[in-house]
Amino acid sequence: MTSLVSLLPSLATVTALVKIGLLIGGLMTAAAYLVLVERWMAAWVQDRKGPNRVGIPLTKIRLFGLGQPLADGLKIILKEDFTPKHVDKVLYAAAPLVLLAASLAIFAAIPFGSSLPPIPALGLTGEEPLLVAPNLDVGVLWVFALSSIAVYGVLLGGWASNNKYGFLGGLRSSAQLVAYEIPLGLGLLGVVLAAGSLKLDVIMNAQAESGVWYAFAQPLGFIVFLVASFAEAARLPFDLPEAEQELVGGYHTEYSGIKLLLFLVSEFLHMVTAAFLIVIMFLGGWHLWGVTGSGAVETWLTAIVRCAVLSAKIFGVILFFMLVRWSWPRFRFDQLMNLAWKVMLPLGLANLVTVATVQEFRPQLVAALGADAAGWVAVMIPWGVFFAGWIAAGLLTPSGTDNRPIRTHGPLDVEHELVEV
Amino acid sequence: MSPDGGLSTTGSLLAMAVGCAAASLWLLLPRGESGMRERAARRFGTLLGAVSLTLFVACGRRLGGIGEEVIFLVVSLVAVVGAAATVVTRSPVYAAIWFALALAGVAGVMLVIGAQFLGVATIVVYAGAILVMFLFVLMLAQPTGMAAYDRVSNEPLLSAVTGAVLLGLLTLFIGRLSAGPADCCSFPLKATALAGGGTAVTGQARQDTDPLAADHVARLGGELFGRHLLAVEAAGVLLLVALVGSIAIVSRTPTEEGTVPQPRRVAP
Repeated sequence: MTSLVSLLPSLATVTALVKIGLLIGGLMTAAAYLVLVERWMAAWVQDRKGPNRVGIPLTKIRLFGLGQPLADGLKIILKEDFTPKHVDKVLYAAAPLVLLAASLAIFAAIPFGSSLPPIPALGLTGEEPLLVAPNLDVGVLWVFALSSIAVYGVLLGGWASNNKYGFLGGLRSSAQLVAYEIPLGLGLLGVVLAAGSLKLDVIMNAQAESGVWYAFAQPLGFIVFLVASFAEAARLPFDLPEAEQELVGGYHTEYSGIKLLLFLVSEFLHMVTAAFLIVIMFLGGWHLWGVTGSGAVETWLTAIVRCAVLSAKIFGVILFFMLVRWSWPRFRFDQLMNLAWKVMLPLGLANLVTVATVQEFRPQLVAALGADAAGWVAVMIPWGVFFAGWIAAGLLTPSGTDNRPIRTHGPLDVEHELVEV
Repeated sequence: MSPDGGLSTTGSLLAMAVGCAAASLWLLLPRGESGMRERAARRFGTLLGAVSLTLFVACGRRLGGIGEEVIFLVVSLVAVVGAAATVVTRSPVYAAIWFALALAGVAGVMLVIGAQFLGVATIVVYAGAILVMFLFVLMLAQPTGMAAYDRVSNEPLLSAVTGAVLLGLLTLFIGRLSAGPADCCSFPLKATALAGGGTAVTGQARQDTDPLAADHVARLGGELFGRHLLAVEAAGVLLLVALVGSIAIVSRTPTEEGTVPQPRRVAP
């Protein structure tokens, strides 16, 4: 009898499974409806009506087009799952799965709220953190590791397609992902240094306690992280995989049906992850001055308000992502790489050095100026560095708008001259 | 296994496991043959490998909770099978993918036994950075992966036996070590939060008794930049040297003297 009882899952397992279920269900539904929001947004920017027809099936009720995600999903799932003859079958099927698994597993370390008050009826005596793996001490690194796994999906998808356009697209996208991981990491490091922890919930709590969100304390780090996360999510202006007209698409050129859907969903999830991270690390997470409080969760009202604030912020950031899509032209590949290595990397390093210096000398500042003035100085110094970096980047980097062919003096040019003469 | 009594049965199980592993690796390693014989060898080798893995699992120690046990078995099987497939497969790209899977398994084992930072760092450094570079090179250099030197293994017998014996000895000695004083080296159930299961200890109590879970990364950092500062700095300088060297090689542009082919004038 005791052995049978020991086979039953423990309370920790059950709560973890419930959280995983909530998270995956919520994310997938949100992804479907965010596609609808994106299409509405596109229509609004382009002065069209957008999808507004599909409502409840078999009736004439339109419901502002809220049935559209269901119809889209059914259509793409029921499409023929076509596998071209020339592909490497195993890797062709594995690539979208790798990408989707990585982009879902990231959320094990990402909190989706503050925490719930104790529920004695269910045996939960302590505060229940709204996070799948609350004891994972390396949360930020986990996120970083799994976003580097996503490169495999892109690279394998391109290679397994056995198509030169798909392959080149895969190389292009993976080079982009690898390049922008560095500014992304530098942006993360500044926040980790300031909060003194790799746990995302501790980072949120630190911002709630001080009341100064890291976007205000580290503006340069915020900008670098924002740009890098746009690139990591392959959103416009970095969406070379979508450049059908110019580049015959990217790594998913040969994909169709459900496999293409998996690729697109995981790209969308990358954007949602980026929005989560931006809000949690730079925009205060669930904290809002005068509304949410900053201490422990005592009532259900606090817990719900904090969840609502976090969701509202995330939704706002996602709307920003969507607006940027329709306001910015696509980068050329060399411009994209120049931005990563020649602009974002030095700026990220400057931010890291500034944050480290401020953190190191904070006790001396407090001793010399008093707590309030020291707090102001610790915020003003990064802003000074931010404007200096902005001006330096503007003055020092070559203009990115020159679209004339680049004159190189390599062997190709010599050949060219030879032909002309 | 108990330190004295059950050792003989465990020892014989282990010896059988090592023998099966050696034979399976020897059969599976590519030898440039083709056709029926090769296919039969691969089938038999896979079967022997499965038998060997089962024997290894049978002579291992129990971890405790069923959740830990299942997760540990899954990730360690992924690691071992991935590593074997890395050396056995014929296509270089597939070898790289299997290696990535083996690394994922190793990272999983580290997470299960509580070494969170090492596990995640393995993924970031090896799977995320180094192996991606490998893949770039392999994919660009050899799209089909069927060069002659990829189809033949140099010393199949020696390498198979060495690998299997090494695996057996490591298992034996680590097993002996962890069978020592109680609670010293037995696998601590650090991963209760990840794996679920285990006893319902509250977070605070667990943190008090657990040397690793509280401020795991902060302690590791303190140790690295305290006791091992010189080694860390030396490794950093070494990496810098490699970086400077690679830039020196890459930046040897054709504009240097003597390397630019002068444009020849072609007579009109």
